[in-house]
Amino acid sequence: MSIALEHVGIRFRAGVEALRDVTLDVGRGEFVAVVGPSGCGKSTLLSAIANLLDPAECEVVGRILVDGSAPGTKSRRELNLGYVFQRDALLPWQTIDQNVQLGLAIRDVDPRERRERSRALLEMAGLTGFDRYYPHQVSGGMRQRAALVRTLAYDPQVILMDEPFGALDAQNRMLLQSELLRIWQASPRTILFVTHDLAEAIVLAQRVVVLSRRPGAVKAVYDIALPYPRDAFALRGSAEFGRLETTIWQALRDEFRATLPEPGVA
Amino acid sequence: MNRTWSLALRRAALIVAIFALWELVTGGFGLGLVLTSPAILARPSSALAELGPYAASGLLWRDLSTTLIEAMVGLVLGIIGGAALGLALGYWRRASELIEPVLVSLNSLPRIAVAPILLPWLGLGIASKIALSFFTVFFVVFFNTYLGVRSVEPELVKAVQVMGGDRMHLARFVVLPSVFTWIFAALRTSVSFALTGAVVGEFVGASSGLGYRLNIAAGLLDTKRVYLILLILMVFAVTLVEIAKRVEARLLRWRPSAVLAG
Repeated sequence: MSIALEHVGIRFRAGVEALRDVTLDVGRGEFVAVVGPSGCGKSTLLSAIANLLDPAECEVVGRILVDGSAPGTKSRRELNLGYVFQRDALLPWQTIDQNVQLGLAIRDVDPRERRERSRALLEMAGLTGFDRYYPHQVSGGMRQRAALVRTLAYDPQVILMDEPFGALDAQNRMLLQSELLRIWQASPRTILFVTHDLAEAIVLAQRVVVLSRRPGAVKAVYDIALPYPRDAFALRGSAEFGRLETTIWQALRDEFRATLPEPGVA
Repeated sequence: MNRTWSLALRRAALIVAIFALWELVTGGFGLGLVLTSPAILARPSSALAELGPYAASGLLWRDLSTTLIEAMVGLVLGIIGGAALGLALGYWRRASELIEPVLVSLNSLPRIAVAPILLPWLGLGIASKIALSFFTVFFVVFFNTYLGVRSVEPELVKAVQVMGGDRMHLARFVVLPSVFTWIFAALRTSVSFALTGAVVGEFVGASSGLGYRLNIAAGLLDTKRVYLILLILMVFAVTLVEIAKRVEARLLRWRPSAVLAG
């Protein structure tokens, strides 16, 4: 499945213009990262693709197509989207195991198959033995891992990720980046990954899209010609990584700077 | 563990000390130290001795069961009614906007003040006490449930929606569990409210019940019995609240430790 955005603009009724004229294609099985200063509308973009925006609160212009259809035209179950939130969004009253089974329970999958799939995923995420813990009883890194495999459990072909590792410490962030790489390399799905961490975007994605400050517009797009399989740790030391980081930072820096108030800029 | 035990021990010692002091200043321990008239402050040992005749007359059991039934029926009905209306109005915004001022004004009414009107409506039997007990519990649960529905974490709703969950899934996985948290958080308060409702109802007019017996004993200046009933009510309330705490801790065990500590 693919994602196509054509001249998408989003304006909140309260008056804030979040996005302006965003055109972007994410091909089937492609991993694309979007970076930009905070408040540039990155998250709003994902919400719009997943049809999570309240039409009473904002107005969307342009065209959004997921697998060829506009948001809301297909049932969500049919669309089979995955969404990973910045804060894990695990149900606090369900165990880690129950949380991982959630999407399958919604799809009325047979309980035995549900348990088996959950067990395999928890093992993959290194969460074996924690299946009966409640979210508050495990660390932030473990929660986010559980949230990631919860999304994988129902096998979505498009996964939207909204700064999923933003709340983690540096070590956990790198660990989860490697895990995500491993998962995606093993079975490529379409991933649109929003982050404010440029290094993270380069390490993971095939393409990095730089959004300008609000209203967010596509400022530049960079192909990341680093071969897969990638090693999230080793990559950071390579010369090619450094060159890419410097180049993209040039474009990004101005946007971060511009978020500071300047005389004469509205 | 050590700390918990030592705390429990010190707490018990404090309670014993309070009773000992009380016993002492009311002429106890054969020391003849009487600070006030026994008609005002009964000696604890003689108040407890009153338990014998009270139980022998068969009235103790009758009064206890009457008050317990009133409080429990009022509690259960109050929780069901409050939760049902809270859910309905939480979901149905237009109705809630309309009805809110009515509920807020009813809630601002001191519950005890409605006791006298319940009597002619429902008579001297347990119905009027159940009604008062219900009335006190109902609003606590209603407002908690209503706020619970309104304050459901939007991110959890989105997570379930994205996975393809419909309204039923949202209710089952997000709204109801979230609302139950609020209802059970109100359980402890509700239990003591239910008991208050029952006892106050009995004050106003009844033919049995702890509140009724207390009122009669006070009128007869039977101070020993007054204190005995107060002690019984205290034990009763503490037991009920303790049970409520256990139920709460069991049902909300998924929550961070604040609840489990008690």
